[in-house]
Amino acid sequence: MSIEEDNAKKGSTHADESPAESHHKDEDGPISQYGGPIIFYFLIGLIASLVVGWVIFPQLLYSKKHQPFDFSHKLHMEEVDNGCESCHFFREDGTFSGAPKLAQCIGCHEDMQGVSEDEAEFVEEHVAKNREVPWLIYAKQPDCVFFSHAAHVVSAKMECATCHGEMGESDHLKIYEENRISGYSRDIWGKNIAGLKHNTWDRMKMDDCAECHLKETGRTSSIQTEKDGCMVCHK
Amino acid sequence: MKIDRRSFLSLGIGAAAGTMLSPLPWKITDDLSIWSQNWPWTPVPEDGEITYTSSICTLCPAGCGISVRKIGDRVVKIEGLKESPVNSGGICVLGLSGPQLLYSPLRIQAPLKRKGKRGEDQWETISWKDAVFEMAKKLGDLRSQGKPQTVAAISGQRYGSTAGLLKRLLTAYGSPNFFHVPSMEDTYEQVLQTMGNVDGMAGFDIEHSDYVLSFGSGILDGWGSPVRMFRAHSQLKQKNGKLIQIEARLSNTASKADRWVPINPGTEGDLALGFAYVIIQELLYKREWADKDPQGFEQFKNFVVNGFRPDSVSSITGVDTGIIIALAREFASASRPLAISGKGQGDVPGALAEFAAVYALNALVGNLNKPGGIWAMPAPDYIQWPTLTPDDVAKAGLDQPRLDGAKGSEKPLLNRFAQKVADGYPLEVLLISGANPAYTLPDTQGIKAALDKIPFIVSFSSFMDETARVSDLILPQPMYLERYEDVPCSPGFSKTYLGLSKPVVRPLLHTRNTGDVILDLANAMGDPIKGAFPWENYEACLKQTLGSRWEALTQKAAMVDEKAAGTLVQKFKFSLAPLQVNLSENAKKESDFPLKLIPFDSMRLANDAVISPPFMMKIVDDTILKGKDGFVEINPVTAKGLKLSEGKKALLTTPKGQATVRVHLFEGIKPGVIAMSRGLGHETPSDRFAGGKGININALIGSMEDPVSGLDATWGIQAKLAKI
Amino acid sequence: MKKGRNLQKANKFGMVIDLDKCTGCGSCMVACMSENNVPFKEDESNKLVSITWMKVFKISNKEPYPDTKECYLPRPCMHCEGQHSGHSPCVSVCPATATDYDSATGIVSQIYTRCFGCRYCMGACPYHARYFNWWDPVWPAGMEQSLSPNVSPRMRGIVEKCTFCFHRYQLAKEKAFIKGETEIKEEAYQSACTQACPAGAITFGDLNNPDHKVYQMVLPDDNHHGKPRNPHAFRILERLGTNPKVYYTTRQLWVRKAVDYYAENESPAPGNHG
Repeated sequence: MSIEEDNAKKGSTHADESPAESHHKDEDGPISQYGGPIIFYFLIGLIASLVVGWVIFPQLLYSKKHQPFDFSHKLHMEEVDNGCESCHFFREDGTFSGAPKLAQCIGCHEDMQGVSEDEAEFVEEHVAKNREVPWLIYAKQPDCVFFSHAAHVVSAKMECATCHGEMGESDHLKIYEENRISGYSRDIWGKNIAGLKHNTWDRMKMDDCAECHLKETGRTSSIQTEKDGCMVCHK
Repeated sequence: MKIDRRSFLSLGIGAAAGTMLSPLPWKITDDLSIWSQNWPWTPVPEDGEITYTSSICTLCPAGCGISVRKIGDRVVKIEGLKESPVNSGGICVLGLSGPQLLYSPLRIQAPLKRKGKRGEDQWETISWKDAVFEMAKKLGDLRSQGKPQTVAAISGQRYGSTAGLLKRLLTAYGSPNFFHVPSMEDTYEQVLQTMGNVDGMAGFDIEHSDYVLSFGSGILDGWGSPVRMFRAHSQLKQKNGKLIQIEARLSNTASKADRWVPINPGTEGDLALGFAYVIIQELLYKREWADKDPQGFEQFKNFVVNGFRPDSVSSITGVDTGIIIALAREFASASRPLAISGKGQGDVPGALAEFAAVYALNALVGNLNKPGGIWAMPAPDYIQWPTLTPDDVAKAGLDQPRLDGAKGSEKPLLNRFAQKVADGYPLEVLLISGANPAYTLPDTQGIKAALDKIPFIVSFSSFMDETARVSDLILPQPMYLERYEDVPCSPGFSKTYLGLSKPVVRPLLHTRNTGDVILDLANAMGDPIKGAFPWENYEACLKQTLGSRWEALTQKAAMVDEKAAGTLVQKFKFSLAPLQVNLSENAKKESDFPLKLIPFDSMRLANDAVISPPFMMKIVDDTILKGKDGFVEINPVTAKGLKLSEGKKALLTTPKGQATVRVHLFEGIKPGVIAMSRGLGHETPSDRFAGGKGININALIGSMEDPVSGLDATWGIQAKLAKI
Repeated sequence: MKKGRNLQKANKFGMVIDLDKCTGCGSCMVACMSENNVPFKEDESNKLVSITWMKVFKISNKEPYPDTKECYLPRPCMHCEGQHSGHSPCVSVCPATATDYDSATGIVSQIYTRCFGCRYCMGACPYHARYFNWWDPVWPAGMEQSLSPNVSPRMRGIVEKCTFCFHRYQLAKEKAFIKGETEIKEEAYQSACTQACPAGAITFGDLNNPDHKVYQMVLPDDNHHGKPRNPHAFRILERLGTNPKVYYTTRQLWVRKAVDYYAENESPAPGNHG
C-alpha cells in the first residue's frame, strides 16, 4: 500500500478514530500495525534462544560418564595416615603421581577389605590381573599444559582443595561430564555454562591460573604479555 | 498463527540476540578451538614415573655405558652413562637411536620358517618348540651321517658368552667351522704375535699421547670405541697435542686433524717405512728398542734403507718428500708419539704389512708398553667353562679341513668363504648370529652365490636383513634392551673392560635370547652335546660365568681393570716376514679402470650388522644420499676430465660390478680417487627409511687376500666413471 | 614485594660450542630429535624441509685440493635477545603471540597451540633455526611408544624450534622444590645436545652466573648486548644485532670469517670488533 493511499485512508477515516488511536498511527507509521506480532516473535526468538543457550545447551554439550568404580574418598581418608598425600604423592624427583595406580591400592586391597560387589570386581578384575583401573580424570589438561604440583603444593604451600575442591570429603565420585566437542571434563570450564565462578576450584582454564599467578607472584617476565612467561605453564 | 516475513525476521533477530546473550556461541568457539588442536592422529604421550636404568649398549662393540630413561614401561630416551670409563656420558647417534630399533615395526616378531623359494619373502610363523625341534633333527641327522663338519657358524662377536656358546656347540657337535667376522683386531693380533711376541689384543693409550699419527684410522669416524676416541681427541686438543691424518679423503677425522696428508690408497705401509727411514737415518729412534733385538734391527734397518728412501716413497705414495721428512722428524721428537692403523672404522682386517710397518714405527719411537703408546691387552678370560671333551664323532669332524683352509689357528679367513663354497666345500648348514654377511662382506655377488649353495641357513637376526631374507629359518634375538649379555672388551681400549648389558624392558615380542636357543638345541640333541651345556638357561649360564662379578655388574654396568695393561709385555722383534710384501703391486693402475674407488665410514651410517634407524638416515648429508640415489665423491679436476658435473648421474664400473650413481664434486679428495660411503644400499624392501637407498659398495668391491695373514687386505678397488 | 620467587637475578641460559672439538658426528642432532619428539620422514634428503632443531652445518674454506679445510658448526636456536630485552627477530613479528621471550630465563619459547603457521617468524630468523611441519608427523606403528610426555608432539601447520630443552628446566625446578632448594644447580639443567656430545664440544649454562662454565668461557659484556669479552669467542652474524645466546670458540681464523660479514680489509682477529 503506498504512502499516499495510506495517508488518504487515514485522512478519510480520521473522523471515526479516537485521538489516541490516530495519534498512535500517525507517529509510529506503518510498523505499528504489526507491532504486536513483531515484538511477539522477537520475544519468542529471544526467550527460546536464551533457554536453549542457558539451559538446553549445557545439557546437550556434556555426556555423562560413570567412573569405573564409585570410590569413596571420605571412607579412605579415615583409613590413611597422611591425608591426600597417602595416595596422591610426590615422587623423589619432584613429579606428582596423580591419580593412584594399582601399586597404591594393593597396599591394602590385596584382599577384600569390605563386602561390596564393586570391591570384589576391583580385586578380581584389576588387582589380580594387574590391570590398571581406567579412572576418568576431572582435572585433565590438554597436552600443551605443564603443571607442576611441586611448585604449587610444596613451594607455594597451597591446599589441594583450592584447585580441586573438597574431594577428600566426598562419599562418591561425581559423574564425569565430558564435553562432547573438546573432550575434556566440565570441571575445566566450570559447572557454570557462562564460566562464572564463586570458588577458586570452580574452573581450571588458563585465565584462572593466570589470575592467581598475577595476584600471588606479580611476575612480568613475558615480553609479549607482561605476565608470567608462557613456558612456565606450557610445554 | 500465520508468520509472515517480518515476523520471521524478528524471530530470527530475537534468536540471534538471545544466542549472543547466552554462552552458547562463546563456549562453542572455545570448545572448537580446543577440538581443532586435538586431532586423534596427533599422539599424546602418556605420563608416568621417570626411571633411569644403567646398562651397556651393544649396537657396536665399543661397550659404551648407557642410561635408559623410561616413562612407566616405555623407553623414551637413551643417554650416555656419566660414570662409564669408556664414554663418560657421551653417546653416538646409533646408541641414541636405540628406541627406534626397540620399537621398530620391522622387528621379527616370532620364529619364521621359509615358505616358497628363497628371496620370495614368504614366511610362516612357527613355535619355538617346532623351530628348535627342526634344527635339532637336521643337525642330528648330519651328525649321524658322520658329517658334523658340514655345519658352519658365522658370529658377529668374537668374545662373549653368546659367541662362546655357539662355538662350544660346534665343538661338541664336531665342526671346526666357527667363524667370527674378522676386523683390524685380527690383523693387530697377528702383528703382536709376530713382532711383539705376545698373545694379546692391541690397546692404544691415546688419552696420554701428545702426537697421533693416524694412517687412515677414522678416529673421529668410528674407529675402535668411537665415543672414547672422541673424548680422547678432545683431550688431545685441550693439551695442544697434534693429530696427523693420512688418507686419500678429507674425512671428519682429517678435517679436524692438524694436518691432512692425502695419499694414494693402499700405500700407507710404504709411507710408514718411509718415515722409518728418516727416523733411522737421523738417529731419532729410541736406542733401547733397537738394543732389544740388535740383529733384527740391523736387518730391518737394511730393509728400510734399501727400499724406502723418501723420494721413492714419495713417488709411490704421492706425498711430498719434504712432508715425509718433516712429519717423521715431528713424530719422533714428540714426547709421547703414537701411530695408529686400521682404515676407517677398522672393519676390514687390512694389509698385514701396513700394520706391521706402523707397529715398527711405534717400536722405533719406543712407545710399546708405555703411557701414551701401544699395550698388549690380555684377551678376555672370565669365561671358564668346564673343559669340553669331544666324543669320537666330534673329534673326527673337528679333524676335517676347515672351510677357509686354515687349521687350528684362531683367525677366520672369511674372505675365502665365497670361493671355497663355490669350489665345492660341502656345507650343509650355516648358522648366523649377530652378523649380516650378505651385506657386510665384500664381493656381495660371490657371497650370495655361496649362500645359495648352502641347503639350510639359520639366522638369529632381529630384523629382516639381507642374510635373514635368504635364510630358511629365522630365530629372532630380542633387542639388547630386552636381554642380558656380557660385553667382554672395548676395541683398542688400553684397560681391561667387562660390561653387562641388562634388560630394561620386558621382551615385547615372541623372541628368544640366542644363548637360550643354543641351550635348547643342545638339550634337544641329547648327550653328548647336552652334557656340554650344564646350565638351565642363558641367564643362569651368565650368572655362573660372571660369578662374583655379577652383583657389581648389575649395579655399575661395567668394570675396568686398569692394572691389566702391562701384564702382557710386548717383547719386540723386528720381524721382516710380514713387511716383505709389496701390496702396491696390486694398486697398479689399469688403463681400463683408471680411478681408485675407496669406501669411507662415517658416524652417521651404521655399516655392520645393524641397519641405520630413521634418525640416522635423517642426518645423512644430501651429498651422500638424495632420495634413493647414492653419491660418489670425486675431485673437481678429475670430474672435469670426465665431463662430470655436480649432482649428475654417472655409471660406476669396477671389475666386480656396476652401479648408477650421482656425482659430488669434492675438493677434499685426491684427484684420481673416488669415494663412496658404506652403510647404504640395503636390499630391505620392507624398510621404507633405509631400504633401497644408495649403493652397497661391497657389491662393487672384491676382497684381496693378504699373502701373509690370509685376511682381507682390500682398501677399495680400481674403477671407472662414465657420464650417463 | 610479591610472594613467590625472583629475589635473585634473572637467569640467562646460553651455550658455548667449541668448533675445534666438534667432529660433525651428529649426536647432538639425534639427541635433540629423540628428546623432543621431533618427527622424521621416509625421505629426508630435502634439507630445506627436514626438521632439525639442532643442525650441524659443514663449512668449507673453499680452497682447492689439497688445502681444503672443513669445519662442523652445530646450530641450535640462538634464543636471541635483540637490542632491547626480548626483541628477538621472531618474537617481534609473531602475530599470534605464539613465540615469546621470557626475561626470567632468556629463553624464546614456542607455544604450539597458539601458532597458526603463518611462518612470519621463519622469514625473520636469520639463522634458519625455525622449522615448519608441512605434513602431520607420522610415527611408524610402535615407535610412538618412545615419545616423551615432557614435550608436546606437534601437528601439521605448526612452526617448531630448539627450546634449550626447557622441559628439563621445568623438571629441574620440580626437583628443587621438593628438595627445598632455591637455585637450580648447573648440572641439574643441561640440554640434551650438551649431554650427548661425545666430544664434549657443547657447554650449557647460565650466562648471568659467574660460576657457570659458559660465563667463564665467554665473559659476556652486559653493557654491549652480550658481546663476548673473550677474544676467541664469537657469535654468528654478530653484526645483525640479534644478541644471540649461543657462542662459538675456535682458533681457526677462516671459520670466524665465514660466520659474519666483513669488508675486504677487515679481519675477525681476536680483539677486532668483528
